[in-house]
Amino acid sequence: MQKYEFLEHAADVTFKANGRDLNQLFENVSEALESTIVFHCEVALEDSCPKKIDSDSCENLLCDWLAKLLITFEIGRFAVEKCFGRIVGLLLTADCLGERLEPNRHRLNTEVKR
Amino acid sequence: MAFEELVKLGEFVWEVPQDAALRMRVPGRIFLSEVLLKYLERGAIQQVANVATLPGIQKWSLAMPDVHTGYGFPIGGVAAFDVSEGVLSPGGVGFDINCGTRLLVTTLFKEELEPRIDELTTTLFEAIPSGLGSKGPLRLSEKELNDVFFGGAKWAVNQGYGNPADLKHCESNGCLDGADPAKVSPLAKKRGKPQLGSLGSGNHFLEIQCVDRIFDKKAADLFGLKEQQVCIMLHSGSRGAGHQICTDYVKMFQAASRKYSIALPDKQLACVPADSQEARDYFSAMAAAANYAWTNRQVMSFWVRDVLEQQFNTTATLVYDVAHNIAKLEKHTIDGGRKEVYVHRKGATRAFDKDASYGIEQPVLIPGSMGTASYVLHGTKKAMSATFGSTCHGAGRVLSRKAARRSLTWKGVTESLQRKHIAIKTDDLSSVPEEAPEAYKPIDEVIGVVSKLGISEAVARLTPMGVIKG
Repeated sequence: MQKYEFLEHAADVTFKANGRDLNQLFENVSEALESTIVFHCEVALEDSCPKKIDSDSCENLLCDWLAKLLITFEIGRFAVEKCFGRIVGLLLTADCLGERLEPNRHRLNTEVKR
Repeated sequence: MAFEELVKLGEFVWEVPQDAALRMRVPGRIFLSEVLLKYLERGAIQQVANVATLPGIQKWSLAMPDVHTGYGFPIGGVAAFDVSEGVLSPGGVGFDINCGTRLLVTTLFKEELEPRIDELTTTLFEAIPSGLGSKGPLRLSEKELNDVFFGGAKWAVNQGYGNPADLKHCESNGCLDGADPAKVSPLAKKRGKPQLGSLGSGNHFLEIQCVDRIFDKKAADLFGLKEQQVCIMLHSGSRGAGHQICTDYVKMFQAASRKYSIALPDKQLACVPADSQEARDYFSAMAAAANYAWTNRQVMSFWVRDVLEQQFNTTATLVYDVAHNIAKLEKHTIDGGRKEVYVHRKGATRAFDKDASYGIEQPVLIPGSMGTASYVLHGTKKAMSATFGSTCHGAGRVLSRKAARRSLTWKGVTESLQRKHIAIKTDDLSSVPEEAPEAYKPIDEVIGVVSKLGISEAVARLTPMGVIKG
């Protein structure tokens, strides 16, 4: 089973992610987003960044989670390489492994802008 | 939706009939030549039809010749909604609120700049922050950021980043009324705060161009454009602030659409009644992002002028600044009467037949893809009656970013630019193929369609000399 695959879209980045269960699906979605933003193979698993998020539906939980990852990168300047998530009800607790973004070392890929 | 659904109404007008899809309230109209028709995606036709189902839509769901699929609404889409029976939809504006184009004209001419084009491109690249997540050198307090949201380009001018004459040459004078920073989330403020005065990445750019052809001498004279004159074009928007505002309100409107029992063929069209509190809140936040974007382009113009003064002891005059992702409250003649409507322009440019800035029709700025020509046009009476005073916004993508990277190399694209004597500077060479001409429709064809349709008329063509790719 492929973790995720990018699909063709003229304007936006679209991808389809798979997972054995919801936890793995969220992990793979996280990886797909991160690899959109930064060449993730260059990110070391040096640091850990715990995250907790809840929402009113599973779909919103996914959207909110992606937004949170985007903010972690843009404001926190933290590039995530791997996520380990656990979803109970509509609460996601995740441990994000990666490192602080270093412009000289990490090649950036695509800005999520519209 | 199938291509067979389209009905040809005229040389460049294709209709999506009202009975082509369930619940369409008006027909769709797509403006294309036979050449551009081959680039049209089924998904874009479907999106034109989907927009036509929204409550209060007036006359037509429109798509300009640079149309392609977007988030909910197509890019290149225009739709007007009744102020009391219609809706407001963040998907009809886009995530980069008031992404727009600005043109400055210098006193330099091509011949004198040519030997120093690399030097100017490099200095501008160093002066203006660009690239993914780029931050501007301004450090704003919370109050200053709120003043930016309220005041738009006027805030920048008051701080010394430009002169009052600049405001006259901005759409809406660089400030949309009704902005309210209280309707902007703390997260959107946090994202916007460090980025003011930065270009961003993707298709955002700064280009050094020269006027290579004048089509309308009277208008060109008024706009201050002469053949061979050097211009600077900026394409940027509201950065993370606008993105977050759109994200926040799309989420809010998805729940609100259900509350107001609005049947949506696609949840990306999430919308609320235009006279609801949610719509008023969105409009206030969207206006704040629009004002941020005008300030952003105003601040970058200041640095452009600073570089020109230091290197060439000269300056640049603002020709115009126009938005192409915005919703505005406007009055239009519809079925013989004047009506107030919310016009959503997403990847579409206002093209009014009158504008106070030069006392003639409104200037329209249409950038081409990297390495190809850009155009200065003006609005027309025909646009007022056929497109709610709107025209195209660019060439329009045909290749996905992934496909562009797969089929082209950065080396090949930069060599091609070099062969045309176009200097390029970027932080990210690997993304260069994404903006190559092959990834876009032919701009000359797009301009040909809007000109022949009469929804805008060409004033001048500008060709690139140096490109800073964000």
